[in-house]
Amino acid sequence: MNHYLVFLEQRGGVVKQASIELWNMLQTYAARHGAFVLSGLLLGSADLQQLDGKLYGDGSIFYTNDSRSDGYNLEHYARFIAETFTQQACTALFFAETVLSKELTPKLSIRLSASLLSGVPQFDQSGCDSGARRAVYSGAALALMQSACSPKIYTVSSFPSFEVHAPKGQREFIALDQNRPSLRYELLSVASQLVMCQGAKDLTEADIIVAGGRGMGGADGFVLLERLAELLGGAVGASRPVVDEGWRPHSEQIGQTGKIVAPALYFACGISGSVQHLAGIGACTLVALNTDRYAPIFEVADYGIVGDVHCILPKLIDAVKDVLKKK
Amino acid sequence: MRLAVCLCLVPDTASVVGFLDGQIDLSRVNEVMNPYDEYALEEAVRCKERFADSVVTVFTVAPASAKEMLRKALAMGADYAVHVIDTPVSDPFQTAKVLSQVISDFYKKTLPDIIFCGKQSTDFQSAQVPSMLAELLDITAVTGITRLHVSAETVQVEREIEGGFESFELHTPALFSAEKGLNIPRKTSIKAVMEARKKTIELLSFSLDEPRRVAMTQFQPFERKKQCRFLADEKELVRFLHKEHALF
Repeated sequence: MNHYLVFLEQRGGVVKQASIELWNMLQTYAARHGAFVLSGLLLGSADLQQLDGKLYGDGSIFYTNDSRSDGYNLEHYARFIAETFTQQACTALFFAETVLSKELTPKLSIRLSASLLSGVPQFDQSGCDSGARRAVYSGAALALMQSACSPKIYTVSSFPSFEVHAPKGQREFIALDQNRPSLRYELLSVASQLVMCQGAKDLTEADIIVAGGRGMGGADGFVLLERLAELLGGAVGASRPVVDEGWRPHSEQIGQTGKIVAPALYFACGISGSVQHLAGIGACTLVALNTDRYAPIFEVADYGIVGDVHCILPKLIDAVKDVLKKK
Repeated sequence: MRLAVCLCLVPDTASVVGFLDGQIDLSRVNEVMNPYDEYALEEAVRCKERFADSVVTVFTVAPASAKEMLRKALAMGADYAVHVIDTPVSDPFQTAKVLSQVISDFYKKTLPDIIFCGKQSTDFQSAQVPSMLAELLDITAVTGITRLHVSAETVQVEREIEGGFESFELHTPALFSAEKGLNIPRKTSIKAVMEARKKTIELLSFSLDEPRRVAMTQFQPFERKKQCRFLADEKELVRFLHKEHALF
């Protein structure tokens, strides 16, 4: 029986939504195919009660309330994960794709002599043993990535609109022994500090994204997008020219040299739809607002309104308000 | 300071990746230095300009056609280039393995103070080589940095994470991978290009006995086209999104 270990990433004591979604996605596959059991691993003193009602299916969650694991330390994390993986005789290791996992997983793949598939969007029906299809060459092509050896490590792109079909199940929480010799803390040459920005919604975890392009005309135009995003509980994104002009920060850039996102609904406002921008958008319902009827964005959109975003957006915001009021 | 920079060759983002008879066609592709590697190289050159007696060496595992990219790197301010040719690598693990061997051999006993890489290549976007390389060389790494400050004692770096920032202070030797925003790479002047011709590109070949760990096959066109439904007004749009799709 395959045994999959899911890394539940916490930052500042909060377990990442993307990790919880990954766990539930794998439980959905387990319920469908039943070919593996699942365990979780949580490092750092996060309150375990925050997971109540969020995780589905059966499995063990290994955790450590070791405050030394609160802050992320590459070497310390790598050791803990590698050791747990080996001791629990796991066959595959799963991470939500984040800045942290992108740094950790290549290191772990060397340590565990494992294959590593990064940025897997979603596995196909048969689970993950058959590999995963992923966009390459700026989204011009899809390629099949397959592991050529075992064990296997995967980082999985966030997919907020995934529908969970798994039993409620039961999780058993197991505290890990932190005093094993190999895990004893050594003086490491790294000191780190974390600053979280209040209220900043993470693009890669957003259900709804309101993105703006050059057609917004300037930084001021984004006020409308912020208002719409706030109304819908979504996040604001931007295309590359917008970031290059300095209208928005790089953390909001979507596309080949920015973030890869997979919301359920994507508003492209004043975005022409370059291949590089589209490379950052996963399968979703796409709404395009643009003055140019022949802009490439309309070729990939589900719904479109031709016109000036500055005229459309206020009306759109009012229409959304009306609908939400009736709820 | 001794500074190493790893470079890779990628298709220019504007070039056309086509398909011919069901096979991927890269014949119309123009290959350039990976954009993230430009940030890495620029940062190395800036370190060199701050600290006397610094040497920047660039490394690449690429076909012979990468010579032009190396010339550009030398014009941007690198001092020496090591070009590993005739060494086919087919996944990030093999690339990291070759780089680690070549870098260890080149620097003999003491590793360079800092190794810079780009965050990821723009073609396959795996972002695996930098962290693998650091592990193989047994040095600390911070990936995707947006700020770097080198002082006499330590190196301070900063990066963006989901919803915040993270800063690190560490000692060398260390490896850093560069994210967009770290700097703005310089343009090369004609004078710099002329001077770069005098610099050396060392050619090496390498035999790798490690099998690949990831196979990439079955390239196919990524078909995204949809039938767009054009709507006349906003209310109609909201009705579709809300009522038909229940998206909010």
